[in-house]
Amino acid sequence: MRSELEINRAVEQYSDMVRRICLCHLKNAADTEDVFQTVFLKYLLYDGTFESREHEKAWFVRVAINACKDQLRSLFRHSALCLEDLAEEAAAVPPEQHEVLEAVLSLPLKYKDVIYLHYYEGYSAAEIGNLLHKRENTVYSLLSRGRGMLREKLGGDLG
Amino acid sequence: MNTEHKIKAAFGSVEAGERLKNATRSFLQEARQKEEKRLRQGVRRRAAALAACAAMLVLAVGMGGYTMLLVPVSYVSIDVNPSIELELNRIDRVLSVKAYNEDGERVLEGLSVGGRHYTEAIDLLVESSGMQPYLEGDAALTFTVASESRRRENALLDGVRSCSGCMSHGGMSVGTDMAMVGEAHGCGLSLGKYAAYKALQQYDSSLTPEDCHDMTMSELHGLLREHGHEGSGGHGGDGHWGGHGSGWRQGDGAGNGASGADGTGSGSGGGTAEADGTSNGGSGSGGGAPGADGTGNGGSGSGGGASGADGTGSGGSGSGGNGWGGSGHGSGHGSGHGHGR
Repeated sequence: MRSELEINRAVEQYSDMVRRICLCHLKNAADTEDVFQTVFLKYLLYDGTFESREHEKAWFVRVAINACKDQLRSLFRHSALCLEDLAEEAAAVPPEQHEVLEAVLSLPLKYKDVIYLHYYEGYSAAEIGNLLHKRENTVYSLLSRGRGMLREKLGGDLG
Repeated sequence: MNTEHKIKAAFGSVEAGERLKNATRSFLQEARQKEEKRLRQGVRRRAAALAACAAMLVLAVGMGGYTMLLVPVSYVSIDVNPSIELELNRIDRVLSVKAYNEDGERVLEGLSVGGRHYTEAIDLLVESSGMQPYLEGDAALTFTVASESRRRENALLDGVRSCSGCMSHGGMSVGTDMAMVGEAHGCGLSLGKYAAYKALQQYDSSLTPEDCHDMTMSELHGLLREHGHEGSGGHGGDGHWGGHGSGWRQGDGAGNGASGADGTGSGSGGGTAEADGTSNGGSGSGGGAPGADGTGNGGSGSGGGASGADGTGSGGSGSGGNGWGGSGHGSGHGSGHGHGR
């Protein structure tokens, strides 16, 4: 079991990333909270060691994506949308980002992960291939196709 | 702004709120406590289980060992005048030795027989220098054996008989009931003396265990002889002491003097070995055949009693028969005396 110090550091360090991954997969705050608990509980109980921060981060990406998928599969997941939470979230996002974010989230799931990992987290296509168990070329084509779809949605805004 | 930056900015605007982080932290704290408790309990439970197993094992071994080694299952009493009793465990080792009178204590002084095989212990006791004064003359060295099973009792009796201490002093050995052990100890008598007391009580109900306590075995045997006319019953060697069977075996030779018309012939009762202690059979009836000149010859004693052996005495000699169990050899010589007018 990991120390409290380690846990707090991990929550501080990876919460935003986990939150964004949840955003790509899930639609309500309760599910997000469940996934948070699942992910960090796994970390609390995980006995393995990480070779580096990068390794640890990749572990979180992997676990978070899987937790989201499990959450969607779960029969017991909260089906109700919490309007309050959504409102809170909508308020937190500045209007100028709102349109882009909306556009990204409207893409099919397989594009969202790839686009997030590449554009925000800065993973290369090869690394994403490793993380998601996809071939590098598949990642490339997902990226370019996703970019094309975004351009279409946002018009000339994407330079 | 290029695509990369726009997307990055868009994602960057989404953060995990403090509420979410705090909820996660408190959930994790709870989970940690639960997990720690579980681990502690797991360790404790495992330790408890281990301890329980160990305790059970120790208990089982202890109980087994206890019944094997520390529970007395048979008793051998050695009586001359010193009354000494050995408690034996399941493997015939001496658990404890106890003297039932002062002479016995004197003999036991300086002797250590605990843990020895009973034959060894008997040899040691009988050959001990403290015992020798009591074995002189007409001392009646008597071994009395009681055990929880007939088989064990027979084995013990065989063992006692083959002891050099028993053989060299012509001791006799008797088997008796396990129930007698408790009664004997209740009276403060050794098994051997108590058995003799029981036998004597049939004739003299005024006799108390205290009386017997102060008498030597040869005195007790003398009394028995007196009462039982043992001269005419089978008493020789270990004649009237049956080899096995429960109860006190004795030749119960009751000489009936048949009075002839012209004289009194006193017949000698045939000694009969009474195999069953409860039945009071074994009354030898010797019909004194009246001799013409007054010399009565003993008739033939016939052993009565349900399980009685047959004793035939002829010419005044009754020979105690064999007990029905077969191992009681009673051969006694009774002599009938007839007095002519």
